[in-house]
Amino acid sequence: MFSKANPDDDRPLIERVRRGDQDAARALFERYFDRIYNYVYARLGRVEDAEDLAMDTMTRSLTRLDQFQDQGVAFSSWVYRIAHNATIDHYRRQGKVTLVSLENATLPQSADPSEMAIERMSNEGLRSAIRDLTEEQQQVLILRFFQDLTAAQVADIMGKSVGAVQALQHRALGSLERALQGRPSN
Amino acid sequence: MPEAQRLERLAERLRSLDPVAPSPAAKIRGWNLVAAEVQRYGSRRAHARSMGRLVLAGLAAASLLAAGAVAASADSLPDSALYPVKGAIENVQGIFTFTPSDQFNHHLSLAGTRLREAEAMIARHRIDLADQALAGLNEQLQGAAAVVRTLADTSPSLGNSLEQQLRQAIETHDAQLASLQGEVTNPTAIAAITQARDKAQQALQVAADASRSGQGKDTGPSSQPSKGHAGGTEKPSNSGQPAPTP
Repeated sequence: MFSKANPDDDRPLIERVRRGDQDAARALFERYFDRIYNYVYARLGRVEDAEDLAMDTMTRSLTRLDQFQDQGVAFSSWVYRIAHNATIDHYRRQGKVTLVSLENATLPQSADPSEMAIERMSNEGLRSAIRDLTEEQQQVLILRFFQDLTAAQVADIMGKSVGAVQALQHRALGSLERALQGRPSN
Repeated sequence: MPEAQRLERLAERLRSLDPVAPSPAAKIRGWNLVAAEVQRYGSRRAHARSMGRLVLAGLAAASLLAAGAVAASADSLPDSALYPVKGAIENVQGIFTFTPSDQFNHHLSLAGTRLREAEAMIARHRIDLADQALAGLNEQLQGAAAVVRTLADTSPSLGNSLEQQLRQAIETHDAQLASLQGEVTNPTAIAAITQARDKAQQALQVAADASRSGQGKDTGPSSQPSKGHAGGTEKPSNSGQPAPTP
């Protein structure tokens, strides 16, 4: 898992980048590039796209710091928002169909959740199942469990309350569980 | 298995997934791209900063020049290049006079200024400009008299007080004009001064009439204007001869 970024640590680096300090930019790049790559990969599932969007996100983050000053959020949240928007733009360019929520899907009668072999599901199978969820559900699961962020940090990124994030997380896990039941556990 | 337990197991399974890391080559490519953009960003900001400083310096210089022009124009005379600035400042000051008293004092102050300008122009043998200054003096005295007239209906006591101030000012001006009249030999200048003195008396007459009528409405017969007031308005025309200095 990634080391947690302290928003207070980012501040002096941001100021230095604003003054054109390349070393500070490098430090922020090292701090966030892998996380953003991981986030985008979890959303898109393609290495090439993840590389392109992670680079694009870091470029935008470090060259639009004047705009960041007015956002009123932590730098890390701002970077994730840029990554999220880049992902959405990518979906639009690719003409990806909006996904339907699985929250209300009915379980097959024969399925017994207690017997689900979640542990047997491959990592890529799990990632793929997540990508079948709605935008918000994907975002909350990836940020909470892949990025190891707190509910408060996710709330900051998504512009929601902590309670709303927790409720969304609960629904997302339920949807994922239902989606996994219809998949072969390869 | 209860739902909460199932979901917790699923959450744990998600947490156990290994993070996907970018390849070292992708990271190097990424940094090269970002570094180039950050460098461009720094250059743009530096350029913007220097342009900003330039604009600020320009604004500061312009402000200094404007402040200098304003300060220098305060004592400028009608034959000075800065005289129009002085007129503009006087107009602006006039806009910010809201009460009748302020407007009256503004007119009196400008009347004094015009008189000093007329004296200076006569001393420099600029009779045309002196004539203009005396016309300005008359204009300001008319303005002051108009304020007194306006107050006759609304605030007679204040009107009376201002009328007395106007009387004193005109007496002082008249003495100065009379002295000036005795010093000049140019017939045009003498005629202009005579006209200015007559018009000043007319303005005073207007103010005195208004003040009297206002007092009649306000306080009745017990507060009729003093004899001195009326006497001041009956001054004969200053037909070319200096009046005795009071």
